[in-house]
Amino acid sequence: MHIVDGALSNPVVIGGAVAAAGGIYMGLRSLDLERIPTAGVLSASFFVASLIHVPIGPSSVHLILNGLAGLLLGWAAFPALFVGLLLQAVFFGFGGLTVLGINTLNIALPAVLAGLLFRPMIRRGSPVAGAIWGGIGGAFAIALTTIMVGASLALSGDQFLPAAKLVFFAHIPVMVIEALLTGFAVLLAIKVKPDLFVREVAA
Amino acid sequence: MTRLTLILMLVCAPLPAVAHKVIAGVFASGSAIEGEIGFSNGDMAVDQEVVVTGPDGAELGRTITDADGFFVYTPTAPVAHRFFADLGAGHVADVSMPAKDVAKIMGVAVSDQADPAPVSDEAVALCGATAAGLTDEERQAIAEAVRDEMRPLRREIAAYREQNDFQTILGGIGYIIGLFGLGFYLAARRKLAD
Repeated sequence: MHIVDGALSNPVVIGGAVAAAGGIYMGLRSLDLERIPTAGVLSASFFVASLIHVPIGPSSVHLILNGLAGLLLGWAAFPALFVGLLLQAVFFGFGGLTVLGINTLNIALPAVLAGLLFRPMIRRGSPVAGAIWGGIGGAFAIALTTIMVGASLALSGDQFLPAAKLVFFAHIPVMVIEALLTGFAVLLAIKVKPDLFVREVAA
Repeated sequence: MTRLTLILMLVCAPLPAVAHKVIAGVFASGSAIEGEIGFSNGDMAVDQEVVVTGPDGAELGRTITDADGFFVYTPTAPVAHRFFADLGAGHVADVSMPAKDVAKIMGVAVSDQADPAPVSDEAVALCGATAAGLTDEERQAIAEAVRDEMRPLRREIAAYREQNDFQTILGGIGYIIGLFGLGFYLAARRKLAD
């Protein structure tokens, strides 16, 4: 999921960085006192989640948890995931510093979209229905991330369909696992702290 | 539904590794440059084409990795060599060997002409008295044996370097707590000032 240094062409890297900066600005504006701790916790979860490998066949993929971040944080997912990615790049060498912008965009934008789309659904129904919508949101964020990764590679010269398909299919197990995880996390959040979903996500 | 799942699983199965990070390295190996390409989870890049380019970007040649992710390339010019492999899905391996090292392998000075010599004078000089009684073949055989012995060690070191231990993780979480604590402090100050 992390694109490494040197895999993308300069326009893609620069465009990604600019878009990510915009997203982070939006996110920082929406970060108020109540949401900062949530953002910190999700940033830490994202940071650690990438170390949890899910073996599939000869390969392995790791959890991302961007859907959950988007559902709970809205735009604030941008700074939270950016911090996680930055530290992953520095500490573990995942991705790289030059591609930080495009990686942030690829992971945080689907999170924000999942939040915008599925938060109203979660708020509307019963806790169980909310959990199911949360799970769908979690899988949706991963799916969109794989498509965006494929698109970034395509814009840099790779062929879109093979590249996107490769990333997409490899992450189907992750989607399933994240759907379950996000669903249960949302269920827990609705039961324990329902106001996480009650308040509208400020733009 | 189960059939669909099965099909999907089968589709997924032969995919190459989508791991975190590509590990690649090149090192001198007799009169050739040997390198290895793999992923940080231990999978090696099998049958991967490696494009070799010079400092001016011109292609010098291509080589293919074997079942263990190793490739061998015999340099023909004492210039800096760049080894590039596109492993797909955003993974690239990009390593280079400076002109000095390439020249050493070929046994020529950097400015000299491009003529590969099997054993360098420099190497003979380095071996000194202990190697004086050895023939070229013996020296080659020893070098070969040492390389084979070193290979697992090298791999172990590469794996060790990629290892994320508990302290690193805790350190990262500490940074996150600190950063968001700072944000919390700034936000609280702004709120109090209002």
